[in-house]
Amino acid sequence: MNPLPKNESFPRILGRVTRAEFVGRGKELDRIVKQATRQASGRGLLLLMEPSAGVSELLRQAYDQLFSLRTDTIPIYFAFTRNELTAVSAAIEFLNTFLQQYIAYRRNEPSLSYTALTLHDLVDLAPPADLEWVSQLVESYKTLRFSNDDKAFVRFCLGVPQKVPVKFGRPFVMLDGAQLADQLNGSVTLGPEVLRVFGQAGLSFLLAGLRRQILKAAYDAKCDFETLDVLRLEQLDSDEARILVERVAHRQQVSISEEGRDLLVQQFGGSPFFITKFLHSAREKRLTLTSYVDCQRLYVDELMGGQIERHFADLFEEIAPEPETRLALTRLLWETASGDKAISPIESFGKRLNLGPDQLERMLRKLHMHEFVNWNGALVEAGGGPQVWKDYLKARYRLDVLSEPRAVVVADALTEALKRAPRTMARHYKQQAKLGLRALLAGFDLQRIPALLFDSVRFRHNYRGLAQENLITALEAETELVKLPQVVHVASCTAFDNELRQVCEEGLCAVAHGFEEAMYTDAREVVWLAAQVEAKLAVEAGVVLTWCERLAGLARSRGFRRYRIWLISDEGFADNAAEVIKEYEAFTSDRQQFELLAGRFGEKSWLSGTVETDGEFLMVVPMGEDNELIAATAVEQIARRLNFQPTAINQIKTAIVEACINAAEHSFSPDRKIYQRFRAESDRLVITISSRGIVPSSFGGSQGTSIEVAQAGQERRGWGLKLIKTLMDEVEFERVDEGTSLRMTKYLRNSSA
Amino acid sequence: MEIPSGSLVRSHCVGTTAVVYASDYLNKLTGEKIERECRRQLDSGCRALVIDFSDTELVNSIGISILLGIIDIAERNGAQVVFSDVNLQTVELFDMLGLTRHVALARDEHEALLSLSDFDTTPLSH
Repeated sequence: MNPLPKNESFPRILGRVTRAEFVGRGKELDRIVKQATRQASGRGLLLLMEPSAGVSELLRQAYDQLFSLRTDTIPIYFAFTRNELTAVSAAIEFLNTFLQQYIAYRRNEPSLSYTALTLHDLVDLAPPADLEWVSQLVESYKTLRFSNDDKAFVRFCLGVPQKVPVKFGRPFVMLDGAQLADQLNGSVTLGPEVLRVFGQAGLSFLLAGLRRQILKAAYDAKCDFETLDVLRLEQLDSDEARILVERVAHRQQVSISEEGRDLLVQQFGGSPFFITKFLHSAREKRLTLTSYVDCQRLYVDELMGGQIERHFADLFEEIAPEPETRLALTRLLWETASGDKAISPIESFGKRLNLGPDQLERMLRKLHMHEFVNWNGALVEAGGGPQVWKDYLKARYRLDVLSEPRAVVVADALTEALKRAPRTMARHYKQQAKLGLRALLAGFDLQRIPALLFDSVRFRHNYRGLAQENLITALEAETELVKLPQVVHVASCTAFDNELRQVCEEGLCAVAHGFEEAMYTDAREVVWLAAQVEAKLAVEAGVVLTWCERLAGLARSRGFRRYRIWLISDEGFADNAAEVIKEYEAFTSDRQQFELLAGRFGEKSWLSGTVETDGEFLMVVPMGEDNELIAATAVEQIARRLNFQPTAINQIKTAIVEACINAAEHSFSPDRKIYQRFRAESDRLVITISSRGIVPSSFGGSQGTSIEVAQAGQERRGWGLKLIKTLMDEVEFERVDEGTSLRMTKYLRNSSA
Repeated sequence: MEIPSGSLVRSHCVGTTAVVYASDYLNKLTGEKIERECRRQLDSGCRALVIDFSDTELVNSIGISILLGIIDIAERNGAQVVFSDVNLQTVELFDMLGLTRHVALARDEHEALLSLSDFDTTPLSH
């Protein structure tokens, strides 16, 4: 077959959006199309989906692509729905869908794929070459339909793909929503039955559903895992999710700000399902989403009675059909989740829900399948799941269990959501700004690295201030080298010790298991314990000692026999830390060393641009690379036009430089850009410096205008804002949802200016 | 004789006094280069430092914090520091941040060297 070139569009048949509008999942789509080819003939693909990761559109896109390719692979897409109440009715629907899509493909009439047709219509539409086997199939169906053997009938319906004569093509069946198959009443459990029929028939097929459920169904059906492939489907990453929000908002004609977009991405954890539902609701209610308040108001509405509430309510109803049980379950889940360890023994669940062992097991299995809990047999852990689930559960607990007034619950949910929004974004931006410790460690593979890159004190003395090109040359000439281990596994420190969450953000510390010389023996096994220490100045001995003790303690508690501590800090480590570093034989690096190390993995480049509008100059410069000078030079020209005196011009330039440095240092900006607006008025120059990212706690709080006299040896950073306030006449932070927007005004004075 | 020093910071020695020239913009990068050069001069036996700002038009707060670090280093080495040819705007900044409490200012390099002539600049034994 001739696969379509990437990004080439194909006609939309079942897809709800065109290929161009379909965001992310490119690799998964390619993988599914590849699975349908002759090379993978006879193999099944289990598509294991994280809850709410969204799979249906991916499969519909795969259908459309396979249909367009016109090979001997005949695509069939069937989605189990909540409309079917029994396995028999679902099997009938499958047979009907199969014949319809088969005939659509054979006749090359895409519209037949979704037109409402009866079996009689299908026989009439069957191409002459297919008429014989289709007619026979329909006759057999009519005979079996009214027999008493449901299992035989279900197998007959599911077995239709095997009845297609080989000369007419090979059906590739994609089954969507396998979790719903388990909800069907009757004597047949459809999920495992599907796997039995397809797995044993040597057909190429795909079964998509919740990851925990699909794997269990495969085991229950005693599948031959040798003939099955697995594809995992998780939430979209932040970049893809941002594009999805933009595209859906555009399609739904919902106005949304960048801040709102990014909040939705983080709040919904990149879930296409929730993002799409949310934006549909915004469209229905004709809302704009241009601020955090807009977003969180709709979010709370959705939790209390919108599509998100209905989604969880439906699932809860399936899991616990009886209202009393549902109420007790809500109480139990919330109380367990909000407990110290978020864990409860299964006996406690049984007793408080007043259920027999079989009922309890069924309920827990479903809760586990939807990942509302983790159930390992003896214990139930209830603290996990996405934020939206936690918010829903809390709201239901307060409304249904505590019977609190709805207005109180709504008001609390909204205020909490608003307070959480900047924290959510701050966490995200910090994650983005982190040095990529885990990725770097994962790349360790016996490389030889100048030892100086792991010795920040010596590096500072030998190399700080050296021009970049000279530094690289000097490093190349270094003869003392460290040979890195081959790292085989990297995880956050918090995965090894949950208590470390209190002192370290996930991603800022990592545990890397590796082997020196790639020799897999106890003697060569080594664990690197790396941590990024947040500090604006060189880290002093006391902090270094705390971190060394902390990481050494982790090594002891986890039985790491040989380990290496590696501490990283932006400004490196103070001379007085040398003894502690030596005692623990720790490696230390500052940001420059780290980046030199990481430089082998890629590099960034930045662009800048300037726009002039009526009476205003707008300028965007990338952070770093002394770009604040570009802004300072630009404002100098503007200030000269306004006849500011040289002293005042210099003050303005210095203030701009400081504002840019503050923006770059404090914001954890996602786009690493500084937005500048210069407005020249008759008696003043108004400058606004903005950046996206977090609002540093020190900003906006300090109202003083006097400069504190610095003492040698005291804190020597954080002077920027104070300087700005002294140099400019008016300084004010404008209210923005995220990041900072600092407005500075300098008045024109005729005399001294 | 002027020494380029490999890090693009101009400097030269007058007896045991090193004269180090700051560039047009004193920020983190150029500040660190000056610090490196000052350390190098002190390690070579210099007993006094003159940092000349005749080319310097703009200074930021990070650059100033590095200057304070240089003053510390000099103090630890028993060396004197004088800043020369600092423009008025930069003096204003130094004043605001208390830098002028820890360092002498001279109108130009010549005056700086004269002011240091009273100071004992005997080389330390290594």
